[in-house]
Amino acid sequence: MERIEEYLEAIFRLKESNRPLTTGNLSKVLGIAPASVTQMLKKLFKLGYISYVPYQEVSLTAKGEKIGRKVLRKHRVAERFLRQMGIPEAKVHEQACELEHHLPDELERAIHRKTEGEKLHVPKRLLPLTALLEGEEGVVERLVGGRGLCERLSAMGLTPGTKVRVLRSSLFRGPLLISVRGTELALGRGVAEKILLRRD
Amino acid sequence: MPVVRVALAGNANVGKSVIFSQLTGLHQHIGNWPGKTVEKAEGTLHFRGRTIDILDLPGIYSLSAFTLEERISREYIAIERPDVVINVVDASSLERNLFFTLQLLEMEAPVVVALNQIDMAQKKGIEINTRKLEELLGVPVVPTVAIRGEGLHRLLERTLESCGKRASFPKYGPELESKCARLEKLLDKIPDLKYPAKWVALKLLEGDEEIEKLVTERQPAIMRLVRRMRSELERAHGEQASLVVASERYSLASRIAREVQSFHPARETLSRKIERITTHPVPAYLILALVVASLFYIVFQIGGKFAVIFDRLSSKSEGLPLLPRSVLGGLLAAASVALPYILPFYFLLNLLEDSGYLPRAAFLMDNLMHRVGVHGKAFIPAMLGFGCDVPACLGCRILETEREKILAALIVSMVPCAATSVIILGLVGRFLGIRIALLLYALDFCIILLIGRLLSRILPGEPMGMIMEMPPYRIPHLRTVLKQTWGRTVDFLKLALPLVILGNVVLTTLFETGSIYTLSKVLSPVTEKWLGLPAITGALLIMGILRKELILVLLATVLGTTNFSSVLNAQQMIVLGLVSMLYLPCISTYAAMVKEVGFKKATSFALFRIILAVFVGGIAFRTLTLL
Repeated sequence: MERIEEYLEAIFRLKESNRPLTTGNLSKVLGIAPASVTQMLKKLFKLGYISYVPYQEVSLTAKGEKIGRKVLRKHRVAERFLRQMGIPEAKVHEQACELEHHLPDELERAIHRKTEGEKLHVPKRLLPLTALLEGEEGVVERLVGGRGLCERLSAMGLTPGTKVRVLRSSLFRGPLLISVRGTELALGRGVAEKILLRRD
Repeated sequence: MPVVRVALAGNANVGKSVIFSQLTGLHQHIGNWPGKTVEKAEGTLHFRGRTIDILDLPGIYSLSAFTLEERISREYIAIERPDVVINVVDASSLERNLFFTLQLLEMEAPVVVALNQIDMAQKKGIEINTRKLEELLGVPVVPTVAIRGEGLHRLLERTLESCGKRASFPKYGPELESKCARLEKLLDKIPDLKYPAKWVALKLLEGDEEIEKLVTERQPAIMRLVRRMRSELERAHGEQASLVVASERYSLASRIAREVQSFHPARETLSRKIERITTHPVPAYLILALVVASLFYIVFQIGGKFAVIFDRLSSKSEGLPLLPRSVLGGLLAAASVALPYILPFYFLLNLLEDSGYLPRAAFLMDNLMHRVGVHGKAFIPAMLGFGCDVPACLGCRILETEREKILAALIVSMVPCAATSVIILGLVGRFLGIRIALLLYALDFCIILLIGRLLSRILPGEPMGMIMEMPPYRIPHLRTVLKQTWGRTVDFLKLALPLVILGNVVLTTLFETGSIYTLSKVLSPVTEKWLGLPAITGALLIMGILRKELILVLLATVLGTTNFSSVLNAQQMIVLGLVSMLYLPCISTYAAMVKEVGFKKATSFALFRIILAVFVGGIAFRTLTLL
């Protein structure tokens, strides 16, 4: 069930941000091999969560969309909760992914009420660079690696506030090719995960 | 008149080495920095009656203390104080290059900027107002097109004019400026600081460990103020202080770039089109396979033909007495590796590097290579390792950080080379079938994988994912490539020749006086008892250090038969094959390792491999006996 929720959430996210719902995009967003994604999509189709024709974009059925929307909402509530608990920004997304599947509806509403009115330290939504698809842009907000890594990234021009654009994002958790300050950089997936962006 | 000392500094891939080669002509020398594994290229030229010594500093992006290259560069600039630092800048990515220029100005070095590849920038639709740039930076700026020699005369003129004229510190925002000024006053009181005080102040704010140590030793009280200032910065910006400083530099660099650049619409360049194809998943891997295959073909097919000539020469020396014969044999052995294999390989590797294809190959293979714990750039050397480990090891110099280079060179030296394959295929493959031979290869790759993982754990330093610039494709400058190839080959020979000759003399003497058999008796507890091999293999394995295929050749000579199955059983063949694969690389590879990772590391790794080979061989022997 958790995996199903994870997929429906990812599909819903892509749909919400108006990005093409292709197997390749899903594979990149989830960090899962395309072949496994196809397998899972077939399963989701059988269960009636999506409509799916091989080699074409997928779309959510009403039943699928309901779950996707709910999981994403829980993810966001979990993120707010984690931030308030003082969990470092770099770990918030990952831990929210864990929590979202185990958050009872009642607790979700309670956290939602408690955290809604308060101004939180990070109201902007930060994404790792790896979450962008080819052709998408974002603005560097924060680097979360060790000192050496931050220093090298900033020397190559990736300082906070810089606009970056993803040119290539290889499959199988491979490296990314990005354009920054008029030059092109290749970044290993592990490095790119440490660059948090704001999308406009 | 005194000699003028000039240093060339700048980012990688900006045409620095082309400028160096154009200026110095044939008067150049490639070697290493004393005690370091970083390449140092020096040359001389005469201009207007003055002698100018030129030093090509490594290509770097920053003057932090993060990589060895950066430390070498900044120490050279601060302590050796060259009369002029020519900062080579790529006109088509001005902003990123100015980030480095600003750091040179911070060191108050006498800087002249060579605005290189100005033609490429124009093609991309970028026009640069040189006079304005000169005004904003406060140092001379000369537009150049190094591959055609344009602007170099003017560059030298301005260089002579600027001798010893120190640049002024760039104007950063008041927040940083006031902090630096306050620290500067305190730092001025330290007598032997080596570096300019204001630069030290900025580095302290950045949290540069080396500078921190320098100041703590002399004036520990200052550090308290530094820490307070740093946390002020961090609180105000919500980022590490080093990032605040870097951002400040970049915002000045981008302000300057904006003021001097104007953009025109441009057509998509050819480089861009090639770029799209060579990183697109499907055609990219096909092209990569083609490139590697042709590299292999050129280096080993054509090189192999020349190697035969040297072999024939060495067979002519048979009538000579022992000593001159073995010296000559060593000379020919070194030459038969260097000239047919290393020379073409260096040439092709330089060509790939200069054209910009190498980073693309690294990009494609990064994922796979990371499984072994090395950087994507190590892919091309690793592939070449299947032919010969010597050029493969030497090729690892293209890796950026010291750590990555050491890791790659050690791993690449373990790739089974052609001579190793001769043993595996000629012994195990021929008598036990290709399946067992392939199994041995598979086992070898598993061991390489494990050692790669292990080494990346134990080597000091932060394991670093790939952060690599993708320069645009361009046509390589042939003369520069040729000169570099020649310089590097000569540099390698200087190190390898004495080693190989010495090895040849010692081993040939051992062999011909028959003392090698005494030695193999001494080794018999290991060979006979532990590995279950005939005692004579001890002698063979020692001779194999010279050239690995000698193991098989001598086995046939000593036994008087090429039907090895009559003297070795299946088990012994497998063990001998395994041990030959894993133990010490041949002496030429050892020389290449010394060059790339230093004497100490190369020697300890060679010893480690002997122990590993004996260990694995013994286990294999016992497992096979059980089966």
